[in-house]
Amino acid sequence: MQDFKNKLYNFETPPPHEIWDHIEDELNNEKVIKIHGYRKNKFLFYGATAAASIIIIFLGSVIFKKNSHSIKSNVSVEKENQLIAQKIKDSMNLNQQILKSIINNPEEKKEIISNTSNLDQEPTKYLTVAGPEGQPVKISPKVATLIISADNEYPPKPVWKEEIKKWQKIMLGITVSPTSANFLSLVQLAANKENIE
Amino acid sequence: MTYASNQLLSESDLIKGCIEGDPQMQRLLYDRFASMMYAVCLRYSENTEDANDVMQEGFIKVYKSLSKFRAEGSFEGWVRRIFINTSIEHFRKKVKLYNVSEVSENTVEDGDLSALDVLAAKDIMNIVNELSPGYKLVFNMHVIEGYSHKEIAKILGITEGTSKSQLARAKGVLKRILETRFNKATKK
Repeated sequence: MQDFKNKLYNFETPPPHEIWDHIEDELNNEKVIKIHGYRKNKFLFYGATAAASIIIIFLGSVIFKKNSHSIKSNVSVEKENQLIAQKIKDSMNLNQQILKSIINNPEEKKEIISNTSNLDQEPTKYLTVAGPEGQPVKISPKVATLIISADNEYPPKPVWKEEIKKWQKIMLGITVSPTSANFLSLVQLAANKENIE
Repeated sequence: MTYASNQLLSESDLIKGCIEGDPQMQRLLYDRFASMMYAVCLRYSENTEDANDVMQEGFIKVYKSLSKFRAEGSFEGWVRRIFINTSIEHFRKKVKLYNVSEVSENTVEDGDLSALDVLAAKDIMNIVNELSPGYKLVFNMHVIEGYSHKEIAKILGITEGTSKSQLARAKGVLKRILETRFNKATKK
């Protein structure tokens, strides 16, 4: 077994002549390759720098555009919100004005009282009255009750002491207990009874 | 410079000259080791083209690494290791060895290959070159160069079991080749 190992280990065979030529070329080109490599690296470096700059500029412009667009859109949303807030404010002011005018106008109040007399039959019916500028104003039965039981001041303050006395009197006279959903409904029922009386 | 003067030149002078980039010394170094190393390249490569590539690459590596040679072992051994490593690198670029289940190395006894001893080195080379690349690599590393299975496993990135298995199979194939050849010879 040792023989074939030694034979193989020590076996020698001449290589083709061109191998040395290739090795020689490679050894001689070593320096040239280095200069080439340097130049190549130099070009590669400048090329890479230029490419990187272009990419950075492009990305920068895209991000800037996006940001400016979002700033614009933020501004427009803010404006819209301001408009909506203004509209809500105007609407609330108008409502206040209407309520104020109704409370300060005894005629209007009387009309509401007379109109609310049949609310016990239709508890969800809204009353429509004319606003200060002639516009139709819908009043819910609960607000109507509040207006009726309030003094003539704005904002309306119900004169509860007197009202409660009246309600007590009415409630004592009723044989069937009311099945109202909440306190205001009870007040409304009492007010209606009072009006009937 | 003649063949005789090449033999007279000391290794250290040769190395020094090559490090300094002397083309004559480079040629002398090539002449001294070319035949020996070409045989190594042929033993590890799949074909002559690959052997030529490894030969060229190996010598360039030798010239470039000469300054790293510490003279702790023989210079020939150092050059040979560079060529073996270059051959392995080439092999790994082309072939991927997969781990396989371990087969007992003793499946084929070393004595079964004693028929190789009577053959000429060139014939042994031809028979060994009939092995598949994976078998040939492990066979060369373990049997001819004397690497342990642990070392082979580490170098090739396989398990020791796979190395043993590859060697056992290589020996099996060699045994069959030898049997076929001898049977043919005796029939004649």
